[in-house]
Amino acid sequence: MGPAAFGLIPLEGSAPPEFGVQAFDSRPLFPSSVWTACHGEGSLPASCAEASSTWTDVWFTNHIAQAVIAAVAVIVFWLVVVWRPKVIPGKRQFVGEYLYDMIRNGVARDIIGRDYQKYVPYLLALFTFILVNNLFGQTFLFMFPTFSKIGFAWGLAGASWILYNAAGIKRHGLAGYFKNMTVPHGVPAPLLILVAPLEFISNFITRPLTLGLRLFANLFAGHLVVMVFVVGGSWLLLATSASSAGYSPIWNVAGGLALLLSFFVFAIELLVACLQAYIFTVLTAQYVSSSLSEAH
Amino acid sequence: MSDPQGNDGDGFTALSYIVAGLLLYGGLGWLGDHWLGTGFLLPIGLVVGVGLGVFLVIKRFGAKS
Repeated sequence: MGPAAFGLIPLEGSAPPEFGVQAFDSRPLFPSSVWTACHGEGSLPASCAEASSTWTDVWFTNHIAQAVIAAVAVIVFWLVVVWRPKVIPGKRQFVGEYLYDMIRNGVARDIIGRDYQKYVPYLLALFTFILVNNLFGQTFLFMFPTFSKIGFAWGLAGASWILYNAAGIKRHGLAGYFKNMTVPHGVPAPLLILVAPLEFISNFITRPLTLGLRLFANLFAGHLVVMVFVVGGSWLLLATSASSAGYSPIWNVAGGLALLLSFFVFAIELLVACLQAYIFTVLTAQYVSSSLSEAH
Repeated sequence: MSDPQGNDGDGFTALSYIVAGLLLYGGLGWLGDHWLGTGFLLPIGLVVGVGLGVFLVIKRFGAKS
């Protein structure tokens, strides 16, 4: 079949006939015999409907490996960058200081204001971790943005949720923080009954939901478009009258064109990857800032 | 990318209020319809929810500029 000839998508998905949304499925790194029996070709054993994977199949997958590799890469990057700093920075130190400066001054100081220093490490780690994971979508060997699996996005959204709530509780105490987050300033008492639940939902529920969904949806959709252009394009390019019914030579032309345009799509994905990492960081800082503020 | 006022996230905060209004009061309206067997509470809830959401956005951001 066509797509296999290109081999552009090695770490994701499985055999060519399953290309599609299945390409987003995680594969175990050390598949158990049960998993192998139930995910092979041809007719599957009847017992597969229930437990067709063990806990190692669920937890040691290619996508979790990606996230761990990204975390290690981020840690190593920052260790290398701050190794023996000099007064006049070299190239290595310059890259690190540029990134650090962007998050410290451009995000943390501008948005959080007073007492921003202690949030810089989290924001910086968050930004670089998301950025590396997003760029995996354009990197050979991986070719898959980790956060197009929604569970990873929920994890980060949860971490940010804990951070901004903890920061607020520490600053104002539990009751004070709760009052800050549910009672908007300057609203007459009768309207408060209607508005306070809204404020509560907005601050505690839709915030983390939109934070996680935004990251996930952007990367999922982006990767899906890449898949359509690359896999669909290569299928059309290599189609022949023998392999598919209703074949016409226009298919090959359209396929070639789609493959060329896929470079444009990759470029857009590069932009989205950086932008989403930045937006997630900015919004986290914004939420911390609003938890810390006296009243809004 | 970073803007000097540092209010990149304000749009999302505003959106979050509107969404919360829709979800809460639309949801209450839907529940009411479901239990009472009526059909008019959902649209009313949606309108009220958006109205309150917009009210909160104005309260929060109106005074700034």
